Amino acid sequence: MEQQRKRVYETTFIVNATLDDAQIDQVIERFREFVTKNEAEIRTLDKWGRKRLAYPIQKKNNGYYAVCEFSAPAEIVAKLERYYHLDENIMRFLTVQLSEKMLKARQEQERRSAAPPEQGPPPPVEVKPERNVTPPGAQDDDEESDDDAT
Amino acid sequence: MRRPSTPRRGPRSARASRMQQARKKRVCRFCENNDLYIDYKNEKRLQRFISEQGRIIPKRITGTCSRHQRMLVQAIKRARHLALLPFVSDAVK
Repeated sequence: MEQQRKRVYETTFIVNATLDDAQIDQVIERFREFVTKNEAEIRTLDKWGRKRLAYPIQKKNNGYYAVCEFSAPAEIVAKLERYYHLDENIMRFLTVQLSEKMLKARQEQERRSAAPPEQGPPPPVEVKPERNVTPPGAQDDDEESDDDAT
Repeated sequence: MRRPSTPRRGPRSARASRMQQARKKRVCRFCENNDLYIDYKNEKRLQRFISEQGRIIPKRITGTCSRHQRMLVQAIKRARHLALLPFVSDAVK
C-alpha cells in the first residue's frame, strides 16, 4: 500500500467567543481529534484568544481565533470543511495550502526573528592609506604590472 | 525636401516627461526584504495598505511592485474573510 504524499495546510477558524473558556477548549479539542483521526499530523496549533472582529459575524463583535498547521493527504480538506460546517460554534474558517515558497518564506522569517537584529553597519574604521615607502631611486612608475595588457 | 513637422506633444507626453523627471525610483517595500510570501494573518502589516474607507490602495501610491501587490491583494481579501480587516470602514458611514 503506497503512502500518499502529505501536503502541508494551514487552517484558521473562529470560535464563538461568547462561550466560556472551557467550552472553547472543548471545541478546539474536538477539532484536534477530528484531524488526528483522519491521518493528519498537527505541526502547530496556535490559539490567539479573543479578538475584536472587523465587522460583526452572526451579530457578534468578538471571536476566538485559532490557527492550526498540519500535514495531511489531500482528501482531508473537504472532510475538514464539512466538519467545520457541522460544528455550530465555529463561525468562520479558512484553509490554505502552504506551497513550497510559503514554507521557505516562513523559515526565513523565523530565522530572522530568532537571530538578534543587526545593530546597523559597524562604525567605519579609519583606514589610513598605506604608506609605501619608496626606496630611494625608484621613481619610475611607468613600468606597471602586466595586468593591463589584455 | 521638407521634413515632416514634428507632431505636437499631447497632454499625455507632457505628463509622462514630468513623471520621469520628478519621481525617484521608489523601491517596493517587500522587494527590499526580498519577501516571498505576505501573510494574511498579519493584519497590522496589512493595515497600511488599505485606506480609511477600507479600500485597497493602488500600487502607484504605495510604491509596491506588481508581484507583491498581487500577493498583497490576495492576503487582504483573505484577511477580510476572517474579519481581521474590514470590507468597509469608518469614513463611508
